[in-house]
Amino acid sequence: MSTQIAEEQQTDEPGTGQPADAEAEAEREENEYAVPEWATESEDGPGENEDTVRLEVFRYDPEVEAKQEPRFDTFHIPLEQGMTVLDALIYARDQYDTSLTFRHSCRQAICGSDALFINGSQRLGCQTQVQDLETPVRIEPLPHQEVEKDLVVDMSHFYEQMDAVDPYFRSEDVEEGEEQRQTRENREKIKMSTRCIWCGACQSSCNIAAGDNEYLGPAAINMAYRFVMDDREEETIKQDRLEIIEQEHGVWRCQTQFSCTEVCPKDIPLTEHIQELKREAVKKNLKFW
Amino acid sequence: MAERYSSFEPKGTRWFLQRITAGFLIVVLAFHFMLLHFVNHAYEITFMGTQARMSQIGYFATMVLFLGTATFHGVNGVYNALVNQGLSGTRKTAVKYTLVGAGLLLTVQGIRVALAMTGMNVTL
Amino acid sequence: MSQSYDRGLVEDFGRWQEFSAGMWAWVLHKFTGWVLIGYLFTHIAVLSTAIPAATGDPAVYTGTLQSLEELTVVRILEVGLLSVAVFHILNGVRLLFVDLGVGLGSQDRSFYASLVLTGAIVVASVPTFISGAF
Repeated sequence: MSTQIAEEQQTDEPGTGQPADAEAEAEREENEYAVPEWATESEDGPGENEDTVRLEVFRYDPEVEAKQEPRFDTFHIPLEQGMTVLDALIYARDQYDTSLTFRHSCRQAICGSDALFINGSQRLGCQTQVQDLETPVRIEPLPHQEVEKDLVVDMSHFYEQMDAVDPYFRSEDVEEGEEQRQTRENREKIKMSTRCIWCGACQSSCNIAAGDNEYLGPAAINMAYRFVMDDREEETIKQDRLEIIEQEHGVWRCQTQFSCTEVCPKDIPLTEHIQELKREAVKKNLKFW
Repeated sequence: MAERYSSFEPKGTRWFLQRITAGFLIVVLAFHFMLLHFVNHAYEITFMGTQARMSQIGYFATMVLFLGTATFHGVNGVYNALVNQGLSGTRKTAVKYTLVGAGLLLTVQGIRVALAMTGMNVTL
Repeated sequence: MSQSYDRGLVEDFGRWQEFSAGMWAWVLHKFTGWVLIGYLFTHIAVLSTAIPAATGDPAVYTGTLQSLEELTVVRILEVGLLSVAVFHILNGVRLLFVDLGVGLGSQDRSFYASLVLTGAIVVASVPTFISGAF
C-alpha cells in the first residue's frame, strides 16, 4: 500500500502546479477588467518581446450568435518562470476575457481535467511548461470530441467506453471485511496501468478511435488490463473481462501507432498493455482448439 | 455480454492468422524476389523456364501456398483497414462478401495458372 | 449541451506534420499493403497467359512477359514494387516484434532502421532491375 501512496503524491514537475503567489494575486486584483487593447488585438503591440508569450486560443460558443463561428483569439501573457499553459490560460481568462472557458481543477496533473491540444499534440495544460513550447502557443480543444464551448469538449463517449470494461474491482468469494492481499510482483505488474487519470488524451490522439466510434480506445483497454492482470480477481472474472476486450471493436482494432503511448501524461505504456491483452486473448482462444 | 458474440468465432482468429501468414510471407516473398529477379532475371523468363520450375512438386506447393496466404493476408488487411475507418452495418457486410468473392476468384484463377504452368490443359 | 461543435476530421489533414514515427510507419504500411494486394491481382492476370500457352503456343506467355520487360516504365515500376515490398517486409518484421512485446521502447528507431534498410536494399538492387532496359 505504501508504494501506491507514494506514487500518487509524486508529480513530474514539482512546484509547477502551485497557485500564483500572493504578490501576483494582488496585482491581478488591481488590473481586474482593465483589458489593455494591445493584449487581445494587436499582432505587433508591446506584447512581442521576450517577457510575454503569445497564445492563440480556439474560441467557440454556440449560445452567443456572434461566437458560433469558430475562431482563434490571441492573448499576450506576461511570462513567468515556471509558467504552465494552464497558468497562462488562467491569466488570460482572469485578466482579459472572463468568458474564456476551459476545465481545470487540481493543477498538478492528477485530476485529468485539462487535457488540451497544445501546439498539435495532446498534453495536460498544467504539466506543460510554456517555455518549452514554440511560440505562438496554439491551444485547441481535444480533437475527435465534440466541442461544447471554447476548450471544453464532450467527454461522455470517453466515459461510456471506460464504463464498458467494468472499471472496478470484482471478486466473487471474498467475505465481508476480508483483506485483499496482493503480491509485490503483481502490484508492480499493474503499477503503470493504475496511473490513468481519465484525461482522454490517448483517446483523442488515436487515429482508429477517431474513425471507428465503437473502438474501446486505449484508456478503456488499459483499464481492462489493470483488472485482468490483477491476481486478486478470480479466473472466471478474468475470462469475463477478456471476453469484453476481445470483441471486434476491442483490442484488435489497435494498429500499434503508438500515438496514445506518446501523449499519455502519466507515461503509461498503453500500446504495450494493449498488445499483452491481444496475446492473452489469443492464448485463451487457442486453448479451445 | 455473452449473447453479443459467439464463442465459436473468436475475433482474435483473424488477427492471429494475419500474423502467422505474415511470418510465412516474409520468407517466401523475399525468396520469390530473389529467385525471379536475381537468380533468374525477369526479362529472361520463358514459358519453358517457368514450366521447369513449376514441375518440381516442392516449388509448386510453395507457390500455391504463397498464393493462398498472400490472398488471405491482403484481403483481410483491406477489410481491417476499412473496419478501422468505421465501416459498419450493411455496407460492412457487402464489403465483406465482395472481398471474400474477390479472394476466392483470385485463388481459383491463381491455381489454374499454376496448373497451366506445369503444362496441364486448364482451358474451360 | 443542446449544441456542440463537431470539427470532424478537419484537424487530421493539418496534422500530418505532427505525426510521430509510429504513425508514419502505419501510414506507409497501409499504403504499401494496398499496392501489394493491387499488384497481386495484376500479377495473376498477366500470368494467366500461361493458360493458353500450356496447350498451344508458349510464345503467348513468353512474348507477353518479355515485351512487358522491354518497357522502361515497367522496369521503373518494378523498382517501385521492390521498395514497397521490402518496406512492407521489414516493417512487418518490426510489427511482429511489437506484437510479441519485444522492443516497444525502441519502436521509433526500428521504424527508421527499416526505412534506411529499405533504401539501401533498393539502391543496391537497381542495377539488376534496370539491366538491359536502357
